[in-house]
Amino acid sequence: MLFNSLPFLIFLPSVVAVYFLLPQRWRWMLLLAASYFFYGYWKVEYLGLILFSTTVDFFTAQYIATANDQIKKKIGLSISLVTNLGLLALFKYSGWFMADVLHPVSVINEVQLENFQSFWSFALPVGISFYTFQTLGYTIDVYYGRAVPEKNPFKFALFVSFFPQLVAGPIERFSHLYKQLFTEQQFRYAFLQQGGRLILYGLFIKMCVADNISPMVDQIFEQQNEASSLQLVLGTVLFGVQIYSDFHGYSLIAIGTARLLGIELMDNFNAPYTATSIREFWSKWHISLSTWFRDYLFIPLGGNRVSRVKLTTNILIVFIVSGLWHGANWTFVAWGAIHGFSYMMERWFISKDTAPWLQFPRWIATMIIVFIAWIFFRSESIEMAANYLTNAVSSTSAGITIEWSTISLSFIGIFLLSDIHFKNRSIHSWLNEQSILVRWSVYSFLIFSITGFAGITNHPFIYFQF
Amino acid sequence: MKIAKKLILLLLILLTLNWVYKQSEFIAFVDEHADQYLQVDKIKNCDVIYISASSNFPPENIKETDPRKISQFISDYFPNIQFEAINKPASHAGVYKDLLQLFPENSEAKTFVITMNMRSFGPSWTNSDLETALNESSVFYNKRPALLNRLLISLNAYDNRSTDERNATVQEHWNNDVLPFPPPKNTVNNWCAVEKWGDWKNLKRQLADQFIKQYGFVIDNNNPRVKDFDTICQLAKKRDYKLIFNILAENIETADSLVGKDITNLMEQNVEWLVNRYSAKGFEVVNNLHALKASNFTNKDFPTEHYDEEGRKIIAKHIASSLKPMIE
Repeated sequence: MLFNSLPFLIFLPSVVAVYFLLPQRWRWMLLLAASYFFYGYWKVEYLGLILFSTTVDFFTAQYIATANDQIKKKIGLSISLVTNLGLLALFKYSGWFMADVLHPVSVINEVQLENFQSFWSFALPVGISFYTFQTLGYTIDVYYGRAVPEKNPFKFALFVSFFPQLVAGPIERFSHLYKQLFTEQQFRYAFLQQGGRLILYGLFIKMCVADNISPMVDQIFEQQNEASSLQLVLGTVLFGVQIYSDFHGYSLIAIGTARLLGIELMDNFNAPYTATSIREFWSKWHISLSTWFRDYLFIPLGGNRVSRVKLTTNILIVFIVSGLWHGANWTFVAWGAIHGFSYMMERWFISKDTAPWLQFPRWIATMIIVFIAWIFFRSESIEMAANYLTNAVSSTSAGITIEWSTISLSFIGIFLLSDIHFKNRSIHSWLNEQSILVRWSVYSFLIFSITGFAGITNHPFIYFQF
Repeated sequence: MKIAKKLILLLLILLTLNWVYKQSEFIAFVDEHADQYLQVDKIKNCDVIYISASSNFPPENIKETDPRKISQFISDYFPNIQFEAINKPASHAGVYKDLLQLFPENSEAKTFVITMNMRSFGPSWTNSDLETALNESSVFYNKRPALLNRLLISLNAYDNRSTDERNATVQEHWNNDVLPFPPPKNTVNNWCAVEKWGDWKNLKRQLADQFIKQYGFVIDNNNPRVKDFDTICQLAKKRDYKLIFNILAENIETADSLVGKDITNLMEQNVEWLVNRYSAKGFEVVNNLHALKASNFTNKDFPTEHYDEEGRKIIAKHIASSLKPMIE
């Protein structure tokens, strides 16, 4: 079920209303049923997979916790790792492996490849990368003794499947989310207020900003050989805004939805396009994933306390794996590698001088790297990304006719300015400081924009495909 | 109490925003995405309204002495009445039903000629890719607040299945819907696999298969278009409308020469079913199935209901003679 769909607009208020009407002891069961309904609404077959992943991690966590020696614990952890990463490999990467590895060396022929790809692309479950990482984080936490395993499999199933963040995060930690799911909550008006504000703003930036930009970006990337250099640069910037507004919008709706139920999810973004370094960018972009990689990959690899060579290797591994996490394509590897390489360059060669005059050139340099990397992220192949980049600097074309919409450009401006304004705080806390007139004017503007001017092609959230 | 007050305030804001939207952006948006909505408003008080898909139009690439629409030829027979048409390419009874509902109950238009295109009952049309755009427009034909309809468009709250999903549904019908013939003509796909006119590359073979795909189905009570026409009939009875159902001419000669009697018999059987059903409901049904020769059909490489000047005039004449007693 998409957040920006009619079924969800009916589903959510119903779940919230019943949730607070039920006695506390029944509420988690309602959330579990609602979460499975929410996920199964896409395809009932998906439920089998999440159920499998949940069952394996529930039992492996029990096994790890009760194992009396390190070898058994490692076996338990390995089962969880192999199962979760195996599912990801099967559903996300096997098609790529067949096309880019087996097919070029003629192990499989064209027809076999096409049959395989059509089946697995059809079968790729929504949000598999998100919930497998969440449940994997749990077993790793149990292994390191940071979490006590849950004894009730159904309660654990709720942690894995909690619907607001099931399909595109934020990827939650067991220690942060789990207790909240079962803590007694009295209905408070503040839940409605906070959740409602976040959902409204999230819908605005998804439906009015991202969905209105999308046709322009698609056109420029599709006609990259006919577009002028300026249009290609603009296409890159617009894609950067599109993916940010799309994913940030999703995250805000997810956080707002959980808030309606009295549950706090972690923030996923904090004005990433204000970053003056790649390092800072990654502390502001997809925070739940970057901290996951830090805690469950970078630190186990040795963290900062290793030799320079090893640290360099570890950083590159983390960024490339992060790229691959997004999808099975060399373009994602390139995207991760660009970030990893830039991160290392910054670390080794750029001084930590924080003089104010340096901030602007640093911001420009950071944005150039980030936006060039977006070209790889958006392109279907490395060749197309290279072609786009070449054309962006050397195109002699007169350009293509792009249908600019004044209202869409205004929405982009409003979004980017408000994003800078809401840095280090949320729209919710900002609204709290305003008079009732300003608050309701903002609500009216958001409602009018969403209902009257949202993009007419309802694109699924970009991150759903990951 | 606090929540109730805010809900009332929200409702007032929504009503105001709806009014503002209707006065500002609404017309331009509807003009771009659901122009028939505005057409209805313009012609709601005409005497007779002709509702059809692209069959009403003259061919684009053929020069004719009188390149006018079927509806215009019909209006020649009735110079003293106001006769107008609403056309939307690829539309069908599902759209006509919504359009009819758009007419205000107190409008003066009470007589409608509605085309009944037999192909539109088949699975390849009911699951066509063009349905998505039609379904989008149809959201606006519903009498809800304008802002709500606009939101429903953004939420894609209509059937907007992907091309792949639609094609899969069509294939399902072609594989599984049983035709009233023994094997190998018992399903569309089996029938298409029967050798005729050489292999797949032969153009005659390709066209023959298209005739099977477009007309190889049996209309029954569960057909979605039948349900739409039934709704149209109910509405007509409720509002005291006079209806003429115009069953369009099909290229029977070519179907017969390429595929044979089985396909033409099936077409006749389906049309007979429609004539019986809607005549029994008390409405006029004009059966044009056999009205035209193969030469009147302008598309030579696909079965369509696009006619040349002579063909359009013949259809117009048939409609006019049925319409005459109704309006005189």
